[in-house]
Amino acid sequence: MSLVLAAEAGQVHLTSQTRIVAAILAIFFMFMILELIRRDSLQERYSVIWFVAGLGMLAGAAFPGLLEVVADLMGVRNTNVALFSLVLLLLLGLALNFSVIMSRQAAEITRLAQERAIEQAAAEVRNGSAPSGEQALQAEKQGLEG
Amino acid sequence: MRILVFIPAWNEEAAVGGVIADVRRSIPGADVLVVDDGSIDATAERAREAGALVASLPFNQGLGAALQTGYLYGLRNGYDVCAHLDADGQHPAEEVARLLAEVKAGRADLVIGSRYHSGAVAASGDYKASFSRRIGISVFRFFLTLATRQRFTDTTSGMRAANRRVMALFSQHYSPDFAEIESLQLAVRQGLRVEELPVRMLERVGGTSFLTPLRSAFFIFKGLVVLLVGQFRPRHAEAEQ
Repeated sequence: MSLVLAAEAGQVHLTSQTRIVAAILAIFFMFMILELIRRDSLQERYSVIWFVAGLGMLAGAAFPGLLEVVADLMGVRNTNVALFSLVLLLLLGLALNFSVIMSRQAAEITRLAQERAIEQAAAEVRNGSAPSGEQALQAEKQGLEG
Repeated sequence: MRILVFIPAWNEEAAVGGVIADVRRSIPGADVLVVDDGSIDATAERAREAGALVASLPFNQGLGAALQTGYLYGLRNGYDVCAHLDADGQHPAEEVARLLAEVKAGRADLVIGSRYHSGAVAASGDYKASFSRRIGISVFRFFLTLATRQRFTDTTSGMRAANRRVMALFSQHYSPDFAEIESLQLAVRQGLRVEELPVRMLERVGGTSFLTPLRSAFFIFKGLVVLLVGQFRPRHAEAEQ
């Protein structure tokens, strides 16, 4: 009931409690990213986007007016809807970004495997450990005759 | 003229030796390369015993990547023409020799061995396709013909012969998922001369086809998406030289 009323009242304001929780989460989140980089579990070039997300979270908690401005820009009356839409869009973008990175890496891995296979076959030819077609044919003929 | 015949093989220890022997009998001047696609059985050993050179991919990468390895090997090592055939014994090497003759004579850049070409049916009725496979075949045939404005009857044939222009193109651009169909579309779009030749193929000796009706439907859907996207791909410079 109160939810409906709140929605009808127009803007829903963040309480100071949620702002504090959000700020703590954002700071904790960014420390986690730092720690992952420090332990070499995350490369710097993939961490930028997460810092941006963390800073965005912090900014939203520090200046709740910001969220209302964004909601107005989006033409959404309810700031919660604006917040969820933004987060959803961000996650969608990130997921797509990962698919692109994954495709590139899959292609690189394939090429690496191919290069190794070719290099190995070429080495066999150089060392003469692989029988050429002619030699094998000769050996077979001798085998048949003998 | 240096000839390379390559055979993509994944866990084909039972059949690969016979295929290599067949190739060496029918195409005596050719170097034979088996691209071992991460087999966990004795495919590589059997291939070496039969006198083939082996290029082993460290893990299974799929047919497209295995074929591309063959094209890349041919390009790097200066072969003039190359051909490939399946490792399961469905493709008689004397038919591959006929494809190679077409490329050597300069009548085409890429020649596909077709089971369904009008001439092939008359040649023999050895090969019989299952129902779901036949549906897939006619769908792809229709859409590939539409996309390339050239008539193709056997879009998924794994028996092909090619010259260096094709090696240059395919070693750079070869779809890992839908190798057979997309490569035809790509080659025609690049202005290469692609030709079909009726060939005789044999019934699969061992093993079962991976196609169930549901898988076939998914396979067809995926293929159509790939063909549609392929129509909007940019043209590449590799094949022009």
